[in-house]
Amino acid sequence: MTKEEQLSIINDTIKKTKYNLKPLGYNLVFWGVLIITMSLFHYFFPQIVQFTYYSSLIYWVAIPLLGMVYTTYYNINSGNKLGYETQLGRVIRIIWAVFGLSWISIVVLNLLHDANPVQDILFLLSTVLIMSGLIIRFKPVTLGGVGLLIFTIYTYYVPDINFLLVNVVGITFGMLIPGLALYLLKKDE
Amino acid sequence: MNKEIEKLLFNPIRLKAISFLMTVETCNFKALLDITESSKGNLSIQLKKLNAAGLINIEKYFQKSYPTTDYSITKKGKNSFEEFYKQLLSLK
Repeated sequence: MTKEEQLSIINDTIKKTKYNLKPLGYNLVFWGVLIITMSLFHYFFPQIVQFTYYSSLIYWVAIPLLGMVYTTYYNINSGNKLGYETQLGRVIRIIWAVFGLSWISIVVLNLLHDANPVQDILFLLSTVLIMSGLIIRFKPVTLGGVGLLIFTIYTYYVPDINFLLVNVVGITFGMLIPGLALYLLKKDE
Repeated sequence: MNKEIEKLLFNPIRLKAISFLMTVETCNFKALLDITESSKGNLSIQLKKLNAAGLINIEKYFQKSYPTTDYSITKKGKNSFEEFYKQLLSLK
């Protein structure tokens, strides 16, 4: 084997290793649909969600926790199917796992202090989306994050805004649309 | 450059396996089979040689009652590969 052949083997092998973008797209779509559905249900049926003092806390913690269990299971399965984890994939996985834990913490702390967690969560989500988009070099995710950040800042200047509708608009443009774009993308990074 | 490492990486299956492990955190046997396009027995022998030289880690465990093996590159493996690659480029 010549030196050129050895270099060619190395370069070809490296080129074959790609970070699979589909699972991240699926995760964004899943969470987008879940949160939008939960927000709309809360908006149209407040008497059910706010039936008791702690029922909305349970609603906004228990269902996302179940969602986390499902997406963790999905991500482990898709990782096993692929058979390897790239450094890029590991970074994205850690970022979103930390975001998931922060999300639950923000919801619990805000609801226990009678505050609305929507703006805090959307702010955190926008920064995580910008980070993810820049890391995977995928503009729709980065732009979705920037749009969500601008929208979240805007909500601080609008008095008496309905946070459930803010959630629906923010998650649609920040998570659902970029997630669909990523999921339907054919190439991998 | 260590002659022993150079000799080890002269084999295309071992070179493919270590190049792949340079780009991933961990991988399973099936992923290495796909990337090296080798037979199970041959790949297994080549991976054992890389492991014996301290270039890769082999971790065996049970997942859902099935035996699973994860492979990753060691620090020595990374340094050796980088040195090997630089040498190849300089000779080009």
